[in-house]
Amino acid sequence: MYKAIKIIVKGKVQGVGFRPFIYALSKKYHFNGTVQNNLDGVIILAEGEEGQLEKMLDEIKRYPPKLAKINEVTIHQIPLAQYKEFTIIPSQENGRSIPWIPSDAAICENCLEEMKDPSNRRFQYPFINCTQCGPRYTIINRLPYDRSNTTMKVFTMCHDCQVEYENPTNRRHHAQPICCSVCGPTVTLYNQRGESLAENQSAIIQTVNLIKQGKIVAIKGIGGFHLACDAYQEKVVDQLRLKKKRPQKPLAIMAKSLEVVRKLCFISSYEEDILTSSEMPIVILQRKSEGILPSNISPGLSTIGVMLPYTPLHHLLFENKKLECIIMTSANPSGLPILYRDDHLEYLQNICDYILTHNRKINFPIDDSVVQYDGKNTIFVRRARGFFPVPRKTTSNVDQIIALGGNQKNTFSVGKKNSIVMSSHIGDLENEEMIDSFKKQLHHYQAFLGVKEVNVAVDKHPLYASTSIVKELDCNIISIQHHHAHHVSCMEDNGFNEPCLGIILDGTGYGEDGNIWGFEFLYGDAKSFERLAHLKYTPLPGGEKAVKEPWRNAVGMLLYYWPQEGKELCMKLFPERLKEINMMEQMIVHQMNTPMAGTCGRLFDAISAILGICSISTYEGEAAIKLSDYMNKTVLESTDEKYSFHIKTNTPNLLQLDLSPMIYQIIQDKLQQQSITAIIQKFHMTLVSCGIQVVSKLLRNRPELNRTVVLSGGSFQNVFLASEIQKGLEKEGFNVYTHRNVPCNDGGLSLGQIIIAAHQL
Amino acid sequence: MQRISLAHGEGGELTHQLIQEVFIQSFGHSEQTQFDSAILPIPSQTIAITTDSYVVKPIFFPGGNIGKLAITGTVNDLAVSGAIPHVITAGFMIEEGFPIKNLKEIVHSMAGEAEKSGVNIVAGDTKVVEKGSVDGLFINTTGIGVIQEEHRLKPEMVQEGDSVIVSGTIGDHGIAILSARQELGLLTDVKSDCASLNHLIHELLAEIKGIRIMRDPTRGGLATTLVELCEDFHFTVEIDEASVPVRKDVQGACDILGYDPLYLANEGKVVMIVDSNDKQKALDILKNHELGRNASVIGQITSSHAQSGKLLLKTAVGTTRRLNRLSGQILPRIC
Ligand SMILES: [Fe+3]
Ligand SMILES: [Mg+2]
Ligand SMILES: [Zn+2]
Ligand SMILES: [Zn+2]
Repeated sequence: MYKAIKIIVKGKVQGVGFRPFIYALSKKYHFNGTVQNNLDGVIILAEGEEGQLEKMLDEIKRYPPKLAKINEVTIHQIPLAQYKEFTIIPSQENGRSIPWIPSDAAICENCLEEMKDPSNRRFQYPFINCTQCGPRYTIINRLPYDRSNTTMKVFTMCHDCQVEYENPTNRRHHAQPICCSVCGPTVTLYNQRGESLAENQSAIIQTVNLIKQGKIVAIKGIGGFHLACDAYQEKVVDQLRLKKKRPQKPLAIMAKSLEVVRKLCFISSYEEDILTSSEMPIVILQRKSEGILPSNISPGLSTIGVMLPYTPLHHLLFENKKLECIIMTSANPSGLPILYRDDHLEYLQNICDYILTHNRKINFPIDDSVVQYDGKNTIFVRRARGFFPVPRKTTSNVDQIIALGGNQKNTFSVGKKNSIVMSSHIGDLENEEMIDSFKKQLHHYQAFLGVKEVNVAVDKHPLYASTSIVKELDCNIISIQHHHAHHVSCMEDNGFNEPCLGIILDGTGYGEDGNIWGFEFLYGDAKSFERLAHLKYTPLPGGEKAVKEPWRNAVGMLLYYWPQEGKELCMKLFPERLKEINMMEQMIVHQMNTPMAGTCGRLFDAISAILGICSISTYEGEAAIKLSDYMNKTVLESTDEKYSFHIKTNTPNLLQLDLSPMIYQIIQDKLQQQSITAIIQKFHMTLVSCGIQVVSKLLRNRPELNRTVVLSGGSFQNVFLASEIQKGLEKEGFNVYTHRNVPCNDGGLSLGQIIIAAHQL
Repeated sequence: MQRISLAHGEGGELTHQLIQEVFIQSFGHSEQTQFDSAILPIPSQTIAITTDSYVVKPIFFPGGNIGKLAITGTVNDLAVSGAIPHVITAGFMIEEGFPIKNLKEIVHSMAGEAEKSGVNIVAGDTKVVEKGSVDGLFINTTGIGVIQEEHRLKPEMVQEGDSVIVSGTIGDHGIAILSARQELGLLTDVKSDCASLNHLIHELLAEIKGIRIMRDPTRGGLATTLVELCEDFHFTVEIDEASVPVRKDVQGACDILGYDPLYLANEGKVVMIVDSNDKQKALDILKNHELGRNASVIGQITSSHAQSGKLLLKTAVGTTRRLNRLSGQILPRIC
């Protein structure tokens, strides 16, 4: 039977070659009609034989274009209009959903093949792309996504490109960044003085030679400049660290191929899939200890961040047999936003030897995404290139709400209709440069989505940058407790909205009692929460300084728990700091610059310092990261051994976790020269046990509570902690949720904030 | 009698004795004080007047004591307003049991500092309060200064490019006071910078026409003082961390305590905004003077319009940090 249907496909269906795909189906299954984009998605009017139409629908659902992500397909029968052919018609700027800003994607296999084919007109062209790959978000000025609204506007298509662009059967049909060596962008190599040395092919060859000679080259990519150098040369890695002012923080590498990755790291087939996905994130892998990689790439760690070439230019660099693996770290001095504009060249000259740049303007910078595989799921450490900006559907009324996120690993969220658009990872809002970058990106999103600053959610911390930003706005401010936001972030991430328990293990967050929280057992939902248990507070002598110097934390705990013996222990553990220990003692007694804190992050810091692993931290989380890395370094024998702790009923409704017996025993073990790995393993087992016992006790006191637990907060980046607590609680009959799509660290805060704001307005 | 008793405050014979032996001996007895108020001619159309209470703890500290501070603080408040300090009044609240020897020493150093700075102490008051009502001794001073028309400050003239100059190392007083508090143990032996700046400032005002505004960065430190200026007069200042003079031992003490020298009190420093054309001349005058040896240009005005009003710090690593007022809260933001 011949009939007509209207199909609406929603999800990530624009800028991914969906219309040419439908066009091709119309030839295959012999139907006529139209296809067009509107703000809801793709709308298809199809008239054909019923059986053929069904096959077409089946193919749409089962084999959509690689970059597409279909959320919803709705089909309505409509009256026949007797179309004579099938056509792609211009975009419509209406619809009820929110506009989808397409994400940047790694070069696809077809383009890669063409680029390597000497007979192809784009042979070795570093900007080859198609509807399935290439830059998107980073080049878009405004929506709808058309070439004239991108930074490709300045390049006028040559005749050949124009023909491909207009041909509905061509795989570059409406590929907005389409170009070739005749009409498109070019590459130039500069020296430090800003003198142009070479262009295009010869610039790329020279760059490879320079890298091999041990030079540092800034390379402009999709979202900004990277600093690149040969990853096999220890000396140049040290130089790069000096220039970037980043003494210890791990640097990511880009390996030529999966084979090279296999040579350098242990990698599961699941991890291989993530590594080669169209998002091409940095994947944290276990590196082989006997490998060729110098240890200064990720000092003190057994892991390394690895990615594969994701732009045509990257592939051309590796085409040359000489290069196998390069450091690829964002080109910015520590703490500053990623450099991405060509007028940043002057700045770049100070941190590299040469600059390989191109004239396709980056409109918005973006970092590489970082993910980790925990044995079951992909965990987001940093959500950026490739993974965003993907709107999330929500059942909460978030329309016209903006959530500004935390102070570190900042992301913000903007609510439009029933969707939330989360920004990419912006960074730490420690300085004006980052704050400006934050503001610019926020305004950009607001303009994209048409959301005004009416209702703005911020953290309660009085000293966060967002707290001052929000005061400058004329808006309704919704202040949200840090760990409540973590709690709800994890609920929303799992599409869960009943009141539930949350174990929030975190760094430092502003507590409602003015102390620093971060080891919290909460119960609640977006409307409200109760704090049911927490880690006992101990002093942080020196405030923020104590966060940067973990040994202070340890001293704060020891002097607080055991004023006499604790001091002797401090002097044994930190003999080089006698004078300072005396000072800390007085600071604690007189409460000078010494806030009180009960946090998991600071606990890890203290133990890390006690065990001599890290007493001064040069990057955020260093002490905890290096400590927990011991859990990966060797194959652990399974043990149930743990240290002792107390759960005290402080007030009838608030339990307090006292870990002082554990700390004491750890020090004894350390002083008796027990194996550090064994101590660390026991420490982890203790924390797992704490989590489970506190929750069990809470449920005994309050049997009416929902037996669902969410795990959130930055400390859950510790894979062991997350999976063991989850396992343990599940054994006790709890439903346990961990983060899936947003990071458990402060990068996920804005999601929780926007949901809470929606329920508190 | 070695200690102050409540009877010293009753207004009778003992009070008279105390005034004679302690105050008159140091301050003298000028003819202005023959009435219930001091009556004096003021050689100007415009006067500047300021008042301040001193409750510093400990009362004696390296480089000074509460008395010296009471004079320098008031003299400096007048001087940085562009006034020539003229007369001062002093009120004393003394805790019962306070050693008279200490009181004499304090009053003596007040007299010495007043003489040095060329001001007269023309009126005074003494109250004795029960033990525990005050901590040893509090002093309140009021100062009157005269303004010479040609020295009037012109903050409205501030413009982009103007220089910010500080007259010397910062944080000395703050750290000296902390070190003097026995409880901390010996932090450093740095002395308070407590000093009257009026002569130095007078010289600057006489020589340099392009001084827009001055402040003495006392409580809240250099940062808080500059934030207030930026907000009050709508300009943005960018200071360069590396050029802010800080003594090594002050920095060392700050590193231990987790303090920022930019927020520590100073009692003998002036921060000023000057026309950049006058910056070298101002620096020369300062460096020639004992109290300005370590003077330094620490930054400049980067914008001056209605939307300005920030204090920015260019850090050693090349980032720009916005500085706010000293916050009462000590809360780490690192998560
Ligand atoms: Fe957090
Ligand atoms: Mg004052
Ligand atoms: Zn492609
Ligand atoms: Zn072309």
